[in-house]
Amino acid sequence: MRFEVETGRRRRTIEVRRSGGGWTVAMDGRLMSVDFTRVNDRWSMLVRSVEGDQGSNAQASEPSSVHGSSYDIAIESQRQGRHIVHVDGHVVPVTMGVPGRWRSGSDDDGPGATGPVSIVAPMPGRVVKVLVAPGDAVVARQGLVVVEAMKMENELRAPRAGTVADVRVREGAPVDANAVLVVIT
Amino acid sequence: MHKILVANRGEIAVRVVRACRELGLGSVAVFSECDRTARHVRMADEAVAIGGNAPSDSYLRIDRIIDAARATGADAVHPGYGFLSENEDFASACRDAMLTFIGPTPEAVARVGSKTTARQIAASAGVPVVPGTDESFGLDVADADIARAAQRIGYPVLIKAVAGGGGKGMRVVASAADLQGAVRMARSEAGSAFGDSSVYIERCVERPRHLEIQILADHHGTVVPFVERECSIQRRHQKVFEESPSPVADARLRSRLADAAVAVAKAAGYTNAGTVEFLVDAEGGFYFLEVNARLQVEHPVTEMVAGVDIVHWQIRIANGERLTLSSLDTLTPKGHAIECRVYAEDADAGFLPSPGRIVALRTPEGPGIRNDGWVEQGSEIPIFYDSLLSKVIAWGENRSQATARLRRALDEYDISGVRSTLPFSRWLLARPEFAEARFHTNALDELLQQRAGEPFGGLDPSIEEVAAIAACLVEASAATTGLPASNEVRGRQWASGGNLSAAPSTERSWKALARKEGLRG
Repeated sequence: MRFEVETGRRRRTIEVRRSGGGWTVAMDGRLMSVDFTRVNDRWSMLVRSVEGDQGSNAQASEPSSVHGSSYDIAIESQRQGRHIVHVDGHVVPVTMGVPGRWRSGSDDDGPGATGPVSIVAPMPGRVVKVLVAPGDAVVARQGLVVVEAMKMENELRAPRAGTVADVRVREGAPVDANAVLVVIT
Repeated sequence: MHKILVANRGEIAVRVVRACRELGLGSVAVFSECDRTARHVRMADEAVAIGGNAPSDSYLRIDRIIDAARATGADAVHPGYGFLSENEDFASACRDAMLTFIGPTPEAVARVGSKTTARQIAASAGVPVVPGTDESFGLDVADADIARAAQRIGYPVLIKAVAGGGGKGMRVVASAADLQGAVRMARSEAGSAFGDSSVYIERCVERPRHLEIQILADHHGTVVPFVERECSIQRRHQKVFEESPSPVADARLRSRLADAAVAVAKAAGYTNAGTVEFLVDAEGGFYFLEVNARLQVEHPVTEMVAGVDIVHWQIRIANGERLTLSSLDTLTPKGHAIECRVYAEDADAGFLPSPGRIVALRTPEGPGIRNDGWVEQGSEIPIFYDSLLSKVIAWGENRSQATARLRRALDEYDISGVRSTLPFSRWLLARPEFAEARFHTNALDELLQQRAGEPFGGLDPSIEEVAAIAACLVEASAATTGLPASNEVRGRQWASGGNLSAAPSTERSWKALARKEGLRG
């Protein structure tokens, strides 16, 4: 199977196929033998470069013949094709694509200079204060709504100047993550 | 004393239930709707539902907690920290219900719980205090009066909750223009955290260090102070790292702080466990800050360097026992301990709270490491309460060994499903300022400002490669086996029918069960 994968600002093409009890992985012209085994809520990952050794060890069937770099992996799957991968406790966001049908970027459009902008709740919480009303003119970074979660109040501000077109919450109301609170045009 | 009701949740409820178990005492947990399956509930012998998710509908409901104690036949109440721990009405209600309150008397709670009265007590005991208002400002006080008081004290000032603690309801105000908004925010936070929105104003001491003395005081007039804890590493007045002994306190400062703490405790008629907090300036001069009339989050640091179980002593003191510790011992540090608080917050997004479900968890272990937590794989971190997930405490023969152990432990610790402050803590621990103990209570905020949002988990390219391969293998495994490959993250929807609604009669049936259990005890 062939994947296109994005981490940080880098895209890579990675090809994987089953090989014995493990996997053969091709990435950036390098060939690796990878043992990838589930251990409760995580994965054990052993990576060994097989380039140049004619796969003699790779064909060995004894699991003890697997050696190389070892990693502790945990994976959170957030949405289709998006994972947060923990490598030895380091947190790496990973976006998957298939060649020709890149999935990233389409559903996360940032606020543009024109057109309506929705201010969404960054986390689930409770609206403690609505600071604007429909029709209000707002300047960039002006406070719009105060949302409380875990006893901390967070003021959500206007990403740019504009006019409040819609206020979709009222004070005291609970909100889910990504709920639209205010729309600015 | 036979059975203790723990009027709290999270890691501290787990901590107290453990102490009950160790002392052969029964334990009763209380819980809000969303905590029905939480760790502390399952650990305790019995559990009682006390209402809805909002603290004001459960963990702050004195009436329901007293009812729960009666229903289960508990004869004592441990309040933990936060919630009702420093509420004199709660301490009184316990006494009126013939329940032993594991903490100071309601009168002492009231005396030191009011930050303004506590300042007067300290001053009368000959302990220096930070300049500030003698009166508190309730909701009925006009903004203009507050502005006048702030002007008199001189900017920058600190707005603090009279009933406060733990940095909640606290705001720094640099100039008069920001005062009104800061007072509103502080009152609102204080009101929801402590049920009292009164605030007072204090001069902001420039670049102070925060040192504090843990005390234990029995009902027979003995007050024992412990080696100081230093808690100068704070983010917006929330302690991040705590350690003992302080890297800067010499024997003379230690004994002066200990004497001052004992004087304050005696003047306040204080009993049980408490902490007297001080600000220490660059010249080694110190000011009384406040008394925390409760068990503190960072108590394990003292437990590790003193070799004493503070919660055991709280229970024994409440039971009328005499302290048998000598201050000669308790003021001599045995090694060094450092605590790191781990929160469900996304440090890379301005420390935004990160509620959700823990899908995978690996906790630190090994030599010198203690992890006081409450979350497990599958735990739902609710939006309604403090975001503390656990505290990692490292003990070493000296500060550098304790630091090395803490670093190793934080590297072992991995929390998936919510963002945690672990990457931030690892970064902070690796800073030269930490190794050299060069900090004051604003130092971390200044450091963070300099970073201007640069991510904490700076990644090695090889780590990114491994992550990319792992993601492919997970998808490929799922495609070839048809099994769910990874841990699906689906946070609970709190607004839209997210209530963990069990059978409608849950509360009644739990209480009935608890009552039955109570008869057995």
